[in-house]
Amino acid sequence: MNYKKQAYHPLKFTLLAICFFVAGAHSDIVVVVPADSAINSLSTSQVAKIFLGKSRRFPDGSKALPLNQSEGNLERDAFYQLVSGKSPAQVKAHWSKLIFTGRGQPPKEAPDNQAVKQLLTNNGVNISYIDRAIVDDSVKIVTLK
Amino acid sequence: MPAQPDESEEQGKNSAPSPVESNSPHKIIEPLIFYPGALIVSLIILWITTFNIIAANHQRAQESAITSTAELAQTYEAQVVRALQEIDNALNIVKRAYELNSDKTMLSRLNDWHLLLPDFLFVTSISDANGNVISSTRPFEKQNIADQSYFHQQSEFDQLASSQPWQDPYTKEWKLTFSRRLSTPTGAFAGITFTSVAASYFVSGYEESQLGKWGVLGILGTDGIFRVRRTGEQIVSGEQANYSQLIPDSEELEEREVRLQNNSWDQVKRYTVASQLYEFPLAVVLGLSEQEQIQGAIELKRVYLLRASAASITIMLITIILLRLSLQLKQSRKKALEEHIAHAQKVEHLAFHDSLTGLPNRSFFSQLLSHGTAEAKRYERRLALLFLDLDRFKIINDTLGHDAGDELLKEVARRLTEALRETDTVARLGGDEFVVLLPEMNDEKQLSAVAKKILSAVGKPFHLAGQDLRVTVSIGISVFPLDGEDEQTLLKNADIAMYHAKENGKNNFCFYSDELNADSLERLALESSLRLAVDRDEFVLHYQEKHDLRSGEITGAEALLRWQHPTLGLIQPMQFLPLAEETGLIIPIGKWVIETACKQANRWLEEGLPPRCISVNLTERQFTDAHLLDDIANILQTTAIAPTQLELEITESLLLRNFDQALETLSKIKGLGVRIAIDNFGTSYTSLSTLDQFHFDTLKIDGSVIRDIANQPSDKELTEAIISVGRTMAMTIVAEGVETQEQAEFLLASSCDQVQGFYYNKPGLPSMVTPGSPK
Repeated sequence: MNYKKQAYHPLKFTLLAICFFVAGAHSDIVVVVPADSAINSLSTSQVAKIFLGKSRRFPDGSKALPLNQSEGNLERDAFYQLVSGKSPAQVKAHWSKLIFTGRGQPPKEAPDNQAVKQLLTNNGVNISYIDRAIVDDSVKIVTLK
Repeated sequence: MPAQPDESEEQGKNSAPSPVESNSPHKIIEPLIFYPGALIVSLIILWITTFNIIAANHQRAQESAITSTAELAQTYEAQVVRALQEIDNALNIVKRAYELNSDKTMLSRLNDWHLLLPDFLFVTSISDANGNVISSTRPFEKQNIADQSYFHQQSEFDQLASSQPWQDPYTKEWKLTFSRRLSTPTGAFAGITFTSVAASYFVSGYEESQLGKWGVLGILGTDGIFRVRRTGEQIVSGEQANYSQLIPDSEELEEREVRLQNNSWDQVKRYTVASQLYEFPLAVVLGLSEQEQIQGAIELKRVYLLRASAASITIMLITIILLRLSLQLKQSRKKALEEHIAHAQKVEHLAFHDSLTGLPNRSFFSQLLSHGTAEAKRYERRLALLFLDLDRFKIINDTLGHDAGDELLKEVARRLTEALRETDTVARLGGDEFVVLLPEMNDEKQLSAVAKKILSAVGKPFHLAGQDLRVTVSIGISVFPLDGEDEQTLLKNADIAMYHAKENGKNNFCFYSDELNADSLERLALESSLRLAVDRDEFVLHYQEKHDLRSGEITGAEALLRWQHPTLGLIQPMQFLPLAEETGLIIPIGKWVIETACKQANRWLEEGLPPRCISVNLTERQFTDAHLLDDIANILQTTAIAPTQLELEITESLLLRNFDQALETLSKIKGLGVRIAIDNFGTSYTSLSTLDQFHFDTLKIDGSVIRDIANQPSDKELTEAIISVGRTMAMTIVAEGVETQEQAEFLLASSCDQVQGFYYNKPGLPSMVTPGSPK
């Protein structure tokens, strides 16, 4: 993936935040798995555990391989807020501690929603989250209990 | 048993309880000593134990804190070393890859392959030899880093270098930068690869559950500047600390010494460990707040102190309760014992004292007397015994009642006690008998003085039952050893002397002598045979006829008592009547007389003689006898004679003793229909009004009045006056002791009604009394 080198411009961040805020009323984060996955529904805490490195398996015993969105993505922040109630700083501190103490490695990351959909079809990851608006047949929405 | 209970009484009250108490098995240890002692011992044990436990807890908490600190520090050091090695590895990968192929995009590929550290934590960059940043995993805020120390260092050495903490001007976050040198194939300086990470990363392992709120976790540079330090949620970077103080310059780096010290940066006292890393110019610092670590022990200490205090109070309360109960028990035992002793003393007192007067009783007196005689014998002393008997006490008791009698006895006892010395003993033997024991009484004068003193003390008026009266006492005195050497003899002889005093007119005293004893023996013989006489029916009645002066007919007879003694023959009344009167034998005898006389009156009727009035004399004792009226009524009923055929003769002196009572008794007798005569008239001083009040049926002129009528004109006149008065009061006048014809003629001339006397006939048995004419 080509990562654009950009200055972290305050004006751009502000504009993005405004866009998200306006769109936010309609946009909606959903947890997704590959279309052929056996997983249909999970509890928010199960999802949170998977994405905070506390659990590595689905309830049925199969291996959970989470795909995160890059840090700074609005979807990522919204997702963690949704499933764990943690702020971006708290999530960062959490992973920081896990990594420092050697108790875990962070999930793979995708730069945006589209990349998530593409990566989910490959092997290596089998659960992620995207905006409901771009969900298609390639992925399956997991019902959150 | 004490020889003298009255004297030892006071003493006994005080001395008796003590031996009993000290022998009591209950009194093992004084409760006032035992309970406080037990209290102090148990409190000492309790508090020593408590302080030992507290000290042990404190030590255990300290040891545990030291152990924890050491273990946590070891873990932390390992984590830091590993984190630094990971950083070194990642930078090495960049270095090797870039040195092989200086491609700007290489960094991004390495990142995608996860060969670098997570880019959301670590921003990894590459700069060229001039310090221009040419590639970065994330936007990096500086375009050129040539002025940074970590850049300069790498131009000289090829090893991991770390920066001072620096603050991101945009996020205000403190960061650390680690760098490695990039070399050209020839080994020339080609720039550096470096990665920046939040300083807080190195203290993200801070766990409140292990380190507490006031623990410390940190990385200190050998330059003495804290790269990062965390306490609770507070994270600080760039702070200066005294490196050499924290990490002693020791050769033995293996040795991690946990020291309790006030940390210079925040003045918190901690169990602190600081150890320098092998490969990096950094040291890890870890500390546990002393206060937090021993908090548990402090709380435990508080709990133990509270428990010990509560236990102390409980023990004290229990002790106080036990002490109080024990004292109460002791008190009640003491009280019970005292009551027991008091009861025993009371019983003893009752056994030896007369309950009415409180004086020693007969059995106690007997002990005192035998004790006294033994003493007197040993010291060759004399000892006197006074026997006292109240005169006429029975009459007082009968007339005023027993309560008054008791009062009198009490008062007499009091007066006797007062009149005598303390060494003398007064005892009551029973009834109205008292005895006085006078030790060391030598001569008769002294004894007489004492006896007189007693007579005068008792002789003062008594005020009883609302009236004043006088009581007298008769005293008999016997002296040890002259009048007897044993108790019985002394008492008997004093008694005999007392009888003599009574015979000598009462209200006086008499010393015992052997003559008295002889008299008394005679008397005793007479008394016993007199008693027998009643049972054996040895009494007989003689009769003396009464004659009507005018017609000369027999009108009646006076019954006169005689004792037909089996050996002594006929005994005249004056020889035995006083004794009968004194002993009370007169009551049964008198009753027999009345009954026999009445039967005789009946017999005369049966013999065909005209009704005769039979006269019977009443003595003083008979007259005051409570049963007199009943006895008369019974006799009248059983013999069935007309009451008017019976006449009771009463002497003048008898009336004067107790006027009111006599009047009452007489009117009751009259109520039965029986006639009453006043006997021996003219010998006493009966007033005319007295005669008038009593309403006598018959007046009997005493024989002495008419004896000298022939020679004495005054007697003549007196007789005439008496007859005249008697007639005025409608009494039958009878003249007694008529012995001569002259007398008889004078009496006839003086209008006397009836006569009796030797001139007509001598008293005789009924068979001798015939309806004949005067001789």
